[in-house]
This record gives sequence, C-alpha cells and structure tokens, in this order.
Amino acid sequence: MKVEPEKKKEKRQKVDEDEIQKMQVLVSSFSEEQLNRYEMYRRSAFPKAAIKRLIQSITGSSVSQNVVIAMSGISKVFVGEVVEEALDVCEKWGETPPLQPKHMREAVRRLKSRDQIPNTKHKTILFH
Amino acid sequence: MAEEEDDAGFEDDVDDGGNGADGGHGKRKRLFSKELRCMMYGFGDDQNPYTESVDILEDLVIEFITEMTHKAMSIGRQGRVQVEDIVFLIRKDPRKFARVKDLLTMNEELKRARKAFDEANYGS
Repeated sequence: MKVEPEKKKEKRQKVDEDEIQKMQVLVSSFSEEQLNRYEMYRRSAFPKAAIKRLIQSITGSSVSQNVVIAMSGISKVFVGEVVEEALDVCEKWGETPPLQPKHMREAVRRLKSRDQIPNTKHKTILFH
Repeated sequence: MAEEEDDAGFEDDVDDGGNGADGGHGKRKRLFSKELRCMMYGFGDDQNPYTESVDILEDLVIEFITEMTHKAMSIGRQGRVQVEDIVFLIRKDPRKFARVKDLLTMNEELKRARKAFDEANYGS
C-alpha cells in the first residue's frame, strides 16, 4: 500500500506544525535562566570567516559559502554531542558543572568507542 | 585496545591548564573561545565554563574539521571540498545529516526571499 507523495508531504507539514506549537508552549513556560540558556543554544555559532580560513588553509583553495555553512553547522552539532556526553560523565561521577577537562576527556573516550568521532590516524586491522 | 599515542591536546593529564604551560596543540592562537563558551552554556554547561575545558573543545573542533576536510578532499572531485562530499560523509549520522539539510534549505529560502525583495524594490 503506497502513500501518495502529496499525502506524505501534508503529513510531514502537520507534524512540523505540531512540533512548532509544542515548542512554543514549552518556551513560554521557561524560567529566565532557562530562557537565557535557550537563547545561547539557538544563537551561538562559529564565526564563518574563521571556519572558512581554517578549511581553506587545509585545502589550499577556496571553498563555497555552502561548504562553510555545512561545516559550521555540523561542528556545532559535534560540540553538543561532546558537551552532553561530558555532562553525563560529570553526573555519573557525582560532580557538578562547570565541566572539567577530565569530563571532556572521558566524554571523548566514550564517543570514540561508539565511533562517533572521526579518526583516520588509527587504522583498525580486522583480520591478519 | 589501548591507543599508542595520546590524542593531540591531551598530552598531559594535569588538570590545570596553566598560562605558560603548553597543555594543548601548541601555542596556536585561540580561534573560537568566545563562541565556544556561549555554545557550552547553551548545551548545558555552567554559564562560566572553565577555560581549560573550552580549550580542549576548541582543539577537538579543529581536529574534527580537519578530518572532515581531508576526507572530503579524498572523495568526489579530488583536492576540492564540495557540499555534496560533506553530505555524503555525514549520511550515517542522523543528527548531523538532518542539520546540514535544514541549513542548506533555509539558506536557499533566504536567498530566494532576498532576491524577490530586491527585485520588488529595484527590478523592472
């Protein structure tokens, strides 16, 4: 039984609208501290010029604006993954923020063991 | 299972970063301290993250971008980094994949909106 593309698109739009509404209800109930944090969560971003310079220093040639946008975006997601993991570690060890280097290092160790951190330096040899 | 070399940036296990002591990648100038602090707070850290932790994160981000760039250069058009390459590399990571798609879509919409605005004001 195939769902027509048009119906699928409508359904997706309805789900998006629901999401937006739910978010509005949530945000409207935030304390001031939560609002501050949420604003930082949304607005913080890597400076495009610095990212562009970094990529170009590696490639030796220029890159498009879209590449900078994409790389900045996934880098922020990456930061989120590390910080969330570190907060987890911090809590498990019965400690509190601010996050310490030992939390960050342990977070990286865990993410690496789940292959969530790219690393081409260390080659895994499966069979020899 | 133990890695032979420590990760770059974690050369010493001493927690105090120290001002003179080289605790990271070398005396590279910090590129994103301000932005990273805001990001860490946004993602759940204290409003004032420890500088040593920010530095570690910066090294991680630079390593991440460096890895991605090298990988992108080795696929598709060699020696070049194109969006399609990044999208391909990230295809198995649902969060990053969705994020890139969203960002690129939003950018297209913004460009279209700006263009329509300009034409409305200055076009025929």
